[in-house]
Amino acid sequence: MKHLLRKVLSLSLAAVTALSMSVTAFADEPYNSYNYDTWDDAIPSQSAYRVEKTVTGAEMQLLKLRDPNEKVYVSDNAAITLSDARDLFVDKERKEMWVADTKNNRILCLDLETLVVKGAYMGVNNSSVEGFAAPQGVFVTTSPTLGKQVVYVADTDNSRVVKATVTDERNLECVTEYKKPEEALYTAQTFNPKKVCVDVAENVYAVVNSVNSGSVQFSREGKFTGFYGANRVQVTAAVIAQRIWRAIASDEQLEGMSRNVPIEYANFDIDNDGFIYTVTEVDTDTDAVKKLNPAGYNIWNNAKGNEYKFGDLTGGQWDPLTKKQHVTRLTDLDISDTGLINVMDFETGRVFQYDKECNLVCIFGSKTSTSDQRGTMSNPNAVESYGNRVYILDGSKNDITVFIETQFGKYVHAAFDLYDEGRYVEAKSDWEEVVKRDGSYTYAYIGLGKAALNEEEYNSALKYFKTAYDQDDYDKAYKYAREAFLREHFTLIIIIIALLVILLIVKGQLKKRGIKLIKRKPKRPKPATVPAAAPKDDEEEGE
Amino acid sequence: MYEFTQLGWLKHVIFHPVEGFEDLRWKKQGSMKIALVIVFMLFVDMVADRQLTGFQFNTAYVKVFNIVPLMVQSVVYFFTWVIANWALCTLFDGEGTLKKICIYSAYALVPYILCSYISIFISNFIVSDERIWMTAIYYLGLIWSVVLMIQAMKAVHQYSFKKTIVSMLFTIVAMLLILFLAILLLSLFQQVYVFGYSIYTEIAYRIRG
Repeated sequence: MKHLLRKVLSLSLAAVTALSMSVTAFADEPYNSYNYDTWDDAIPSQSAYRVEKTVTGAEMQLLKLRDPNEKVYVSDNAAITLSDARDLFVDKERKEMWVADTKNNRILCLDLETLVVKGAYMGVNNSSVEGFAAPQGVFVTTSPTLGKQVVYVADTDNSRVVKATVTDERNLECVTEYKKPEEALYTAQTFNPKKVCVDVAENVYAVVNSVNSGSVQFSREGKFTGFYGANRVQVTAAVIAQRIWRAIASDEQLEGMSRNVPIEYANFDIDNDGFIYTVTEVDTDTDAVKKLNPAGYNIWNNAKGNEYKFGDLTGGQWDPLTKKQHVTRLTDLDISDTGLINVMDFETGRVFQYDKECNLVCIFGSKTSTSDQRGTMSNPNAVESYGNRVYILDGSKNDITVFIETQFGKYVHAAFDLYDEGRYVEAKSDWEEVVKRDGSYTYAYIGLGKAALNEEEYNSALKYFKTAYDQDDYDKAYKYAREAFLREHFTLIIIIIALLVILLIVKGQLKKRGIKLIKRKPKRPKPATVPAAAPKDDEEEGE
Repeated sequence: MYEFTQLGWLKHVIFHPVEGFEDLRWKKQGSMKIALVIVFMLFVDMVADRQLTGFQFNTAYVKVFNIVPLMVQSVVYFFTWVIANWALCTLFDGEGTLKKICIYSAYALVPYILCSYISIFISNFIVSDERIWMTAIYYLGLIWSVVLMIQAMKAVHQYSFKKTIVSMLFTIVAMLLILFLAILLLSLFQQVYVFGYSIYTEIAYRIRG
């Protein structure tokens, strides 16, 4: 009996040990999601996006380019991977994804759902130069004048932007070429367009290498019409010092001085309303991300007392993952259909997602560490979004990472959508779901507070704003709450005031007539000649 | 004439900024106990300003609450002021003793403390559009206290007005010097401590082998 007990005990102990030792594998993101709170401190958050898949040349079935039986056959030795691809573009109408495959000198067209290759274009027919040379940018839209799909390619090394219609899977037909402007206004020696963007009126905007007076703007016919939306010089101590030196320097000295010029922007995108958004790579506080109106002025202007912040808020930051200090380098941005802004940070491989009003929605993605995991980037060159997916093009790993929103992300996006339209009460249920999943999500409390305010539940509004530490909204809510309180207790307050007034009058009258209701102990006068030596305890009782 | 209790004297000097402190000195009044209570109330005021100001006006970083800086900003500053003033003015024909300077300075602080309390109290009932009330009361107390402080220093040392102002400015310089030396001393002692501790660990390792 004793042996049996011992056996059973040891067996169960072994079983427990074995079970506790088994390792559970999680399909988790290779980074910790975080967000910023009211004090701009980084706090842990839920993942709003997870990696759905990564797509390399093999998954895109680029082998088809070598198969003579396929429509997209290029040649027997066509490259079957991407090589330093620089740009992505989603044609939402036709559900196509266009890739500027820079080092391979070609433009690829993929099916958006499967990301399988649909078209491969090595050049443009009927143009000055047949083949592409390191095209770095691509933009696809439907031309209102031609009524057809047109592709704009920033053909960098050929010094042109070319606009072409799609003939078939292999051929593009040139419509217009936008070349180096001959006008005196264009002072740069070269014309190497990196990125291209087109507005509804078919004006073409090109970000050109080493042109810092804004993007180069062309009319539809190909005429140079000027520069658009230049960055400003960021005011730093060095700039101010140089300005002072300039004032006192001689002409010879001036010649030797470098000029303070604004930084050219890295990329841009256009939203559904025709606003152009630009992003600047080098860490600038002034013009990191801009939303330009048609006149080229920045709507999100911090100089007007606003505080729009983009990227990591702590500046130079120690990253334990890569074990180095990093400085934010925003390289690309994308405006989704719903107005969400995805900003790609090249340095950390993170995507910062903002809503229409520049509120930080979520942060996802990471830099490749020693272990190359899905969801980490090496050279994230471009970001695009479609529906609930975000695509990141990596120019070093030569793949496209597809992120898909999680349930948490779904609720956050739905809530922000309604919130930005001012439909606070409708957003309430979504915010509640968000809070269930991430109890420290600041905007959820602000949203719930505004909903409560609209429903005239001031006290719970105050509580929510306090949780979010949103002092401005708390102040507004407090104004209403105070008003409501006064209205509710008006009679009581009036009665109390009236009583106090009567009491004061009665007291005044009594004093006038020398009647005392409460008799005080007569004060013991202190002899003036005796200083502090007198017993003090008695003195203090008097008052 | 002028037969007051100790609290009565306090009230007298506050509401008679011109002659109050002279009277106080003439009658050889002023209680150290009350002065210490006032300094304590200054410290409480510092804490209340941080913790009890209305939510919409409170700019404090609420994640951390450290009482030491508040203590330094009230109690330590006050006594540094007293010591610096005494050290300086004894050299320049000031008649005030250390105790008197302490009492008179503390009495002069009362309007500031009171107005500060009132301002903290009403901050809980106003919105930011009405902030001016808060600010007005706060500055009323501050200016009143500064005026009283000048009068107090003038009375306690029997200086002329000009000499009072100059001595007060130099007192602030002396305060800075004292604080600087105190910090220096503190960091020095800290290093001595670290030195001693590392010797101790070294020996401890040797003994253990």
